Amino acid sequence: MLSYISRRLGISIMILFGSSFLVYNLAAYASDPLAELRLSNDDSAQQQIAALTRQLNLDVPPPLRYFLWLRGLLGVFVGNLDLGTTRDGLSVQSELAFAIPVTIRLVLVATITALLLGLALGIISALRQYSRFDYGMTFLAFLLYSLPIFWVAVLLKEFMAIQFNNFLSEPNIPFSWMIFFSIFTGVFWSSLLGGERRRFWTVFAGAFATNFVILWAIDLTDWYLDPGLGIFLIAFLSVGIAFGITALSSGLADVKAKKAALVMAGLAIAWYYPAQWIFDNYGSYLTIFVMVALVIGTGVLVAGAFSKIDRGPIARTAILTGVLCGFLILIDRVMQSWKEYSATDAVNYRPVPTFGQRKDQLVTEDFWLNNLDIIMHLILPTLALILISLAGWIRYSRGALLEVLNQDYIRTARAKGLNERVVITRHAFRNMMLPLSSLFVGEFVGLVGGAVITERVFGWQGMGTLGIKAINTYDLNLLMGVNLLLSFLVVTGNLLADLLYSALDPRIRLRK
Amino acid sequence: MKFTRSAKFALAVAASGALAVSLLSPASANTRSTVVVHDTNSLTSFNSGQPDTNLTINGAVGYLDTIGFNYYDDKKNVIQNRVFGSYRITKNGATDFRVTYTVNPGRVWSDGTPITAVDLLLSHVLSSNDYSKAAGLGDPLNKSNPSAFDSNGYSGTYSNNIAGEPTLSADGMSLTLRYKNKIANWDLFGPGPSPVHALVLMSEGKKALGTVAENNAAKARFLAAFNSKNTNVLRAMGKVWSTDYDIADVNSSTNPLLFVGNGGFLVQSAVKGSSVTMKRNPRYNSGPALSGSVDTVIFRFIADGTAASQALANGEIDIYQGQATADAVAALNRIKGVTVRGGIQSCYEHWDTRVNAAPGQPAYNGIFKGHGGRGADLRRAFLLAVPRAEINEKLIAPINPDVVVLGSTFVSPGEEGYDRLVANNGSNFFVGSQAELNAKALRLVKKHFPSASPSNPVAVKVLVPGANARRAAEFALAKANAIKAGFDLQGDVQTSWSPRIQNTEYDAMFFAYCQTAVSQTGTNSNFRTGGGNNRTGVSLPNLDAILDSMQLPLSRSSYISKVIQAERIIHAEGITLGVFQFPAVTAFNSNLKGVKPAALSPTLVWNWWEWAY
Repeated sequence: MLSYISRRLGISIMILFGSSFLVYNLAAYASDPLAELRLSNDDSAQQQIAALTRQLNLDVPPPLRYFLWLRGLLGVFVGNLDLGTTRDGLSVQSELAFAIPVTIRLVLVATITALLLGLALGIISALRQYSRFDYGMTFLAFLLYSLPIFWVAVLLKEFMAIQFNNFLSEPNIPFSWMIFFSIFTGVFWSSLLGGERRRFWTVFAGAFATNFVILWAIDLTDWYLDPGLGIFLIAFLSVGIAFGITALSSGLADVKAKKAALVMAGLAIAWYYPAQWIFDNYGSYLTIFVMVALVIGTGVLVAGAFSKIDRGPIARTAILTGVLCGFLILIDRVMQSWKEYSATDAVNYRPVPTFGQRKDQLVTEDFWLNNLDIIMHLILPTLALILISLAGWIRYSRGALLEVLNQDYIRTARAKGLNERVVITRHAFRNMMLPLSSLFVGEFVGLVGGAVITERVFGWQGMGTLGIKAINTYDLNLLMGVNLLLSFLVVTGNLLADLLYSALDPRIRLRK
Repeated sequence: MKFTRSAKFALAVAASGALAVSLLSPASANTRSTVVVHDTNSLTSFNSGQPDTNLTINGAVGYLDTIGFNYYDDKKNVIQNRVFGSYRITKNGATDFRVTYTVNPGRVWSDGTPITAVDLLLSHVLSSNDYSKAAGLGDPLNKSNPSAFDSNGYSGTYSNNIAGEPTLSADGMSLTLRYKNKIANWDLFGPGPSPVHALVLMSEGKKALGTVAENNAAKARFLAAFNSKNTNVLRAMGKVWSTDYDIADVNSSTNPLLFVGNGGFLVQSAVKGSSVTMKRNPRYNSGPALSGSVDTVIFRFIADGTAASQALANGEIDIYQGQATADAVAALNRIKGVTVRGGIQSCYEHWDTRVNAAPGQPAYNGIFKGHGGRGADLRRAFLLAVPRAEINEKLIAPINPDVVVLGSTFVSPGEEGYDRLVANNGSNFFVGSQAELNAKALRLVKKHFPSASPSNPVAVKVLVPGANARRAAEFALAKANAIKAGFDLQGDVQTSWSPRIQNTEYDAMFFAYCQTAVSQTGTNSNFRTGGGNNRTGVSLPNLDAILDSMQLPLSRSSYISKVIQAERIIHAEGITLGVFQFPAVTAFNSNLKGVKPAALSPTLVWNWWEWAY
């Protein structure tokens, strides 16, 4: 194992040096940082050419200049890393250090959401193979696959930002739209739940009516101008969460777990008003962190109160329920800031932005306003990223689960009388994650590598934007910085994937 | 069936909510006092005077917070700012040419310190190579010992012509510069104000604004150091000037001394990669009065053109500039409440032919070789065969409908004297229907290649700038037409094309020169024997003589007359031919008044004081 890792590390380092040498020279010969200055009739053009030549060592031929750059890189071993300066005279390290968190903030939420949603849809799709829902998901996946993200982004901005903001200035949902959305919702839920024709139509009618009435109520109350969940809705949803989590986590037959989950939901509801006061007066990340810790602690206590043996699954159910119910209260609190946010001078009643990470002219100490602002700026790019990567996860997880379901051990599990929930969650789900684990590593690289197009289209200054800028302005040092980081991630990512494989699957052994 | 049950409950909740919540209507929008200006590049420094910070956006921010003796308007005229001060020639000798700059009394910096002529002296430090060397600051042209002030002002016209040090008047409000020669466009090389007291205080480690008395004392310390060429004091200032302004994040903990200015708006905060927020300067009295209805100017950076135009549609920005493509213009025109203006950038596209080898290049023996005679005939025939009208109509008019085929490469359309120039500079030879021009070209070709014809064309090797859709289309149009005039254009597409322009292997090339200033000598080095931008190898003593005479200050009409003489020669030789001015597009919130796009840096912010809601 150790020799395997060291051998792989050695090869990785060779690859890194080789690729950086190649990229450096290719880029250096293909670009001319002085092009613009050569054609300038600026009085100071000669001075600028001289200064740039000095700063970037342009008088040294690229193959040799590479070693000047390499010397700065190797300085990392004596604690003096120097990746050079950009054309604008900024340090490449500080540019990278600035861009990485931006990219992570953008991509993290989208990646996790797309992953969870894609897995869920893929699994349901596989369980209902060749059903209407399955065909629907297959259609959706291919549709999303074929969409270019820059186009999706433009559409999202047009309809979910510009048009929606216009709509908010004169809010009125047209009757035809209510019908259209309700039909869509009805078809979605009835396909998802499946069943006989009679069940299909019942679900359709129920979902259609509910959706229609909700839209109508929203329209009537102008809910979108001052949204919130309110204690009733939170109470109702919390109970729903308690049942749902229990069903997935330990099965509704487990009475103790069900009771524990319901107690957690009840505590969350009771906690609603005190939480409001705390949020209003002590809104901060620390408060939220402490609350999450409290919820987890309470979950363990509640589980302990209900059972002396086999507390694990009960505690898991209780904690998951508690955290999700708490999340609802948090969402509710953020929604309460919406009205104030819309009315600020910076927002000026157009709350959905089309670009950027923040409204810089929104200067406020209010924790909730600031976070709502960040969330609003995250919504569209996150949605675009989710739409694009969702398709892949749906297809991968569907395929992986179908393959696992055809294995002998699944038949054995069923034959020995396990119920379907246990067969799926414990036997099938874990094994289907094996082939997907190497894809996770790819996502991890993308997490830092940046969503080049998304960043550019939404005006985020992350790694992708940095890479484009480096190419467009012939900024060799910056390009090398980005390239080095990415190749490092790819190489280590692959190594990690191999190690992860052997850790997850005992049948796989790493040998020379 | 869980969903339907839950939905029923939600319905009940929503319905009860409906009773509780009264109908809300959005309050009417506040009166806006903020202008959000878009730029494609992010700010990298608050000092745009360094070689590596010389970006339009850096310059634009600096333009709002410091105002000097003159500025360019949207017609490329130099306008004197008489509120700040005045300048005039005080001695008009051929070898002793003096200009005196006087600051009007009562002008103040944003910290209340009076502005005097001492504040103009830093320009000399930033521009004169001799001073830099004499004061021990380093030699701007020396690679290993550059000047302590990392300025891009060195080694230029000012440095080459200034004699000695500027002299202060007794009252300290006037500064007289002495040049060794009369220089053309001397008003462009004059000094600008810098808050030297703030630089001195920062170089002494201060982190807060001083009182007026402290500031005046600091200014006196600078003057003493300037006069005695005190290397240590000046080097410390140079370090601050060259590095401390290179920040992109500004907040309440940033040293306020960095943002002392005399312009209408001062930097208040900035977020790296995102924006710069500037607030109205309450002490502003150095330039035209502000309209009053704009309190805040914010620069927001969006690299992507489509994203910026959608941000404009969403009311997130007020002024959009950039991405001049036909689709972008069409998209902007569809936005409600937005005014779209076509316009021009400061770059012009032109086709050049090779006359001879440029300095340092192997000999040129292609068909265009030599002045006069055969070379000139073929060059003119070649330029005739470039379908300029068609290129403009197909590639530029969808973006800027007012585009005109350029009749001069010295003066651009709309500038004073352009019409007289074009009528007389020989450019008429290249104007007419393309069929006529092709016939004319073919006659010239047949003179030297009797067998030449569209089916037996003469080969011309053309350098085609790569990675550029418009230039690819431009070359395709030219190639398709030139065959009718008996030329076979053999394009060589190069992504890294600019160092290759002078390569002798190319007979012809097309690209753009970009102006950063309007000056009599701007295109001078393109045609002068051995000139810095002379890549075609042109060398004509009579042209050199005319260009030399343009180095002196001239009245506009005599300048135009000189250009007519020069361009007659250039056109008769068929050396270069302008095609179009790069198109630009600006779109802005129609409620905002006074926005006038301009081609030269600082582009559209040039008249910030006129912006009004």
